[in-house]
Amino acid sequence: MHTWVPENLLQVKGVCAGYGKLNVLKDISIRVGAGEIVSLLGPNGAGKTTLLKSLSGLISLQSGEIEFAGQSMGSQSARNFVRAGLVHVIDGHRIFTQISVYDNLLLAGYNLDSTVRKERVEEALYFFPEIAEKRSELGGSLSGGQRQMLAVAQGLVRSPKLMMLDEPSAGLSPVLVDRVLGVLNELKSKGVAILLVEQLIEKALSVSNRVYALTQGKIVLEANAREVGLVAKLEAAYLGARS
Amino acid sequence: MFETIFVSGLAMGAIYALVGISYNTMFSTSRVMSFTAGQVGMLGGVFGSLYMIAWGLPIWVGLPMVLLSCALIGVVTEYVAVRPVLKSLDQHLYVLSTLALALMIQQVTAIKWGTEPKAFPRLFNLGSDIWDEKFWIPVIACGLTIVALEYVYRYTLVGRAFVAIAEDNMAAQALGLPERNLRIVSYALAGAIGGLAGFSGGELILAFFANGAVLNFYGFVPVALGGLGNNKGAVLGGLALGLFQQAANFLVGGIFASVAVFTLFIVVLLFAPQGLFSSTSMRRV
Amino acid sequence: MQNEASEGKAKASVLKDYLGQFARTGNLGFIAILAVCTVLPFVSNDYWALIATRAAIYWVLVSGLNLVVGYAGQLAIGYVALLTLGAYTTSVLVAGNVLPALPSFLALLIAGGVGSLFGVIVGLPALRLRTFYFAMSTLGFATIVTQIALAWQNVTGGGIGIVGPEFPAPFNTPWGFYTLCILFAIFSTWITHNIAHSQHGRALVAIRDAEVAAEACGIYKPYALVKVFVVAGMLAGVSGGLFATLQTYITPDAFTFELSVLFFISILIGGRGSILGPMLGTIILTLLPEVAAPLAAWSNFLYAVLLLIIVLVVPGGIGALIDFKNKRPLESDREIVPNINIFNNLGLNLPSKGSLVLRNIDLRFGALYAINGLSLEVHSGQIHGLIGPNGSGKTTTLNAISGYYEPNKGEMQFWGVELPPGLSHLRSGCGIARTFQTPKIVGEASVIDNVMIGAVKFNEASFIEVALSLPRHKADEVRLHAAALDMLSAVGLRELAYVRADRLQHSELRFVEIARALISKPKLLMLDEPAAGLSVTEIGRLGEMIQAISKAGVAVLLVEHHADLIFDICDYVTVLNFGKALASGSPDTVRSNKEVVSAYLGS
Repeated sequence: MHTWVPENLLQVKGVCAGYGKLNVLKDISIRVGAGEIVSLLGPNGAGKTTLLKSLSGLISLQSGEIEFAGQSMGSQSARNFVRAGLVHVIDGHRIFTQISVYDNLLLAGYNLDSTVRKERVEEALYFFPEIAEKRSELGGSLSGGQRQMLAVAQGLVRSPKLMMLDEPSAGLSPVLVDRVLGVLNELKSKGVAILLVEQLIEKALSVSNRVYALTQGKIVLEANAREVGLVAKLEAAYLGARS
Repeated sequence: MFETIFVSGLAMGAIYALVGISYNTMFSTSRVMSFTAGQVGMLGGVFGSLYMIAWGLPIWVGLPMVLLSCALIGVVTEYVAVRPVLKSLDQHLYVLSTLALALMIQQVTAIKWGTEPKAFPRLFNLGSDIWDEKFWIPVIACGLTIVALEYVYRYTLVGRAFVAIAEDNMAAQALGLPERNLRIVSYALAGAIGGLAGFSGGELILAFFANGAVLNFYGFVPVALGGLGNNKGAVLGGLALGLFQQAANFLVGGIFASVAVFTLFIVVLLFAPQGLFSSTSMRRV
Repeated sequence: MQNEASEGKAKASVLKDYLGQFARTGNLGFIAILAVCTVLPFVSNDYWALIATRAAIYWVLVSGLNLVVGYAGQLAIGYVALLTLGAYTTSVLVAGNVLPALPSFLALLIAGGVGSLFGVIVGLPALRLRTFYFAMSTLGFATIVTQIALAWQNVTGGGIGIVGPEFPAPFNTPWGFYTLCILFAIFSTWITHNIAHSQHGRALVAIRDAEVAAEACGIYKPYALVKVFVVAGMLAGVSGGLFATLQTYITPDAFTFELSVLFFISILIGGRGSILGPMLGTIILTLLPEVAAPLAAWSNFLYAVLLLIIVLVVPGGIGALIDFKNKRPLESDREIVPNINIFNNLGLNLPSKGSLVLRNIDLRFGALYAINGLSLEVHSGQIHGLIGPNGSGKTTTLNAISGYYEPNKGEMQFWGVELPPGLSHLRSGCGIARTFQTPKIVGEASVIDNVMIGAVKFNEASFIEVALSLPRHKADEVRLHAAALDMLSAVGLRELAYVRADRLQHSELRFVEIARALISKPKLLMLDEPAAGLSVTEIGRLGEMIQAISKAGVAVLLVEHHADLIFDICDYVTVLNFGKALASGSPDTVRSNKEVVSAYLGS
């Protein structure tokens, strides 16, 4: 563990990862700074979900390094990533339908001291009043949008330094999408860094500081989200270079 | 006559149900069906007889020791036969590894304990005829277990973690739940429940090494009928099986009773491969 | 003239390869064991005659069970039931309890028949039940058979038992009977070896490890398994009859669960997909209690420990340990270089041209429309690209055409004939072949075996001809082998033909799948994201190869994410979104379509 500069909260160098023999990610290097929102864009099959999974310990690296808050993460288990402050909200707004909303949040703080856990759960609920009022209802009774908010709330219980979200807007109405992205802004102002995988390019760009584009397992573009003509560049990246 | 059939059916059914719950508990955190469930059931009776008759310990020491010993066997199962094959892509290795471990347990018991059934102590010396404790201890044990499990699943954090892992393993992992430790705990719990099955039923089925194979099959039928992972289904299935078996025993005799049970088992499974109360289906392609 | 000579040379080199394979498949091991068996009577005593006879009898059963467990992967643990049935059948028939006494050989024959029948009955649940449930059901069956033997006293003698049959001279002495059993053992080895090294054997392994792909290749699981259940049951029944003679007197407790486990473990120690391995396993396990006498009481425990060690440490068993040819290291910088010019000579240019036509296809999962009113056409010699965001229904469309899903509405016409909904195993026969999103390959089989699985529909020999290795079967194999080598040369994997498939890189496996699809000479080839995981060079070569296949006359439906590849080689492109065709036309038209761009960019 060594001192690190805020720009390099998360440093990924030369990561290759995949499933079994299938090599999906080829030599990925990105970084996320403290308090930034970074979007990861790209067509389907590019490897975005695979990248997030390799950054949170859900799949192991074939090669490369991950450094988080100055700590080399290598081949840690998901549990240790969460402990270190890197939380991954997986795609599909998957929460546990057989237990209550409150219990869903308690589980997110499983390894915490019980008083701290209760405090954090209340803090997380404070962010999402819509689900706070459903705290004793089963997870299965929530709508898609509410489930997504619960999933993000679960991530908050650990007070992460960096939260990674995989397509949080999938299946949500435009109003709810704005709500979720609004929450991300609030988190940013609280000092939480965000790595966001999204399909809705313009929405993603509107909240991000920086953006990466991933195609066919490689990073093909890194830019400031406010850059002029960015959308055209992204189009080219998505649909092949023959524009 | 009818009362004896009913009462012994309930008792045997409760023993089978407990073994079924043991299967389910192991399955819930590992997605693995283990051949050792029946063997821990057998060990419940054998250890009970060993601790309380051979070593002369009183029940309030003997029972906890039996539960602990069987829990330990459960942990060994997880470590030796389940964890190594979870990583492998060939999912069906677990059938072989747990079968091997179950056989090892059975053989060691046959050699060390002997191949003859040995006496099991009379625990409380209560009741007689149809109210004899030997019928009601298993039923009460089964009832208590169900109640205790409900409590654990609903009111303890560990229990709710089990429920979460059973529902969505990857989401649980991503959340940082210690799935390996939880799996070990659930296997210990399953061992204890299996041990309770054999201990509570000891006065009926004695301390006999061959009980392992019998409980393996008869404890599995409730799971097949009730649906994998469904404890309430296992209890219903177990009780139904116990009653059916005792009735068949009386009507057509012991040997054809087994044939009847087996035929029932096959017929039900061929019509409803996932069980009568289950709703899981898998996408193949 | 030129063609005949080169054809002759090609056949000769194929024959040389084939014979080379013959030497390598462990036949030397069989010859060694046979030599020991022949010498044994001259160097030892009656005691060892009994042991050796026992091993031979067990092997007769295990050789058949090997096809069920080792090749087909069906965990039938309770096979002792069939041994029991065979033993009691011969004993009862020879003793004359039910019918007038029959001669021993006739009784043995009938035992084989009874075994076949019950082999099918015990095995049938495998078609419906999951692995663990099926294993349990075989155990239950074994228990029942023993119980019936106990109960049916007037026929079987109940707990008291019944005398085993005797065979006429010269088979009624220890060494005479030994010779009889060795002859049966040789026979069972021979037929199971023939079945294993044939399309039937390859089909079993395909069902075990790549069931979905097996269906696409025309392998129908119930049909493939039943044949094996019949053979395994027959051998078990015969083995039972011989067992009764060996024991001279049988009671129900001769047929223990431990015996079932011994048969089962022999196969796993020996290794799946091998004949020699399980044979060695059987011999070892039979000899163990004799050789290590003080351990005899612990023998069952040791079998279990051995099983555990095998499963955890050497899942491939002895077979994997003696597989020397797969221990040779492979070149690490291998490149796949297809031979494009061969594609015109592979027989892909079929005289009948036609098309696949989908009209207004609807496919729902519950309330969700996976495919919504889709129409598309693919013609001979055309490459039709199918693209779209994740979840748009691309793979589902292929799966519907393949018959894994049945559309709720709409029609699918193939070369003018309606495609029957469902019935995925009939597609190969119609002329449809495909690859899969993740390669579905049999890792434990060689590359060429994997390719030959695709040609199941070209079998001419019947099952009996295969079992007895009659000329038509041999001709089949030679022809198939040659065709498979041609395919592998075409896709650029000829040098890896005899390597175990799980040693190959991911991209090579994709090309193996294509070879497997092409060997069936399909009218339509469907490719599901073949470029995933390929390097840029490999994608280029893939593109050239697909174009060559299309030029040779095959209709190609290509599902892909790699926009470059699609727009490079496709003649026609359809874009899917939410199960509907968003746009279709030439690559340029589609590419400049605004709706398509925004669907992809999600804005």
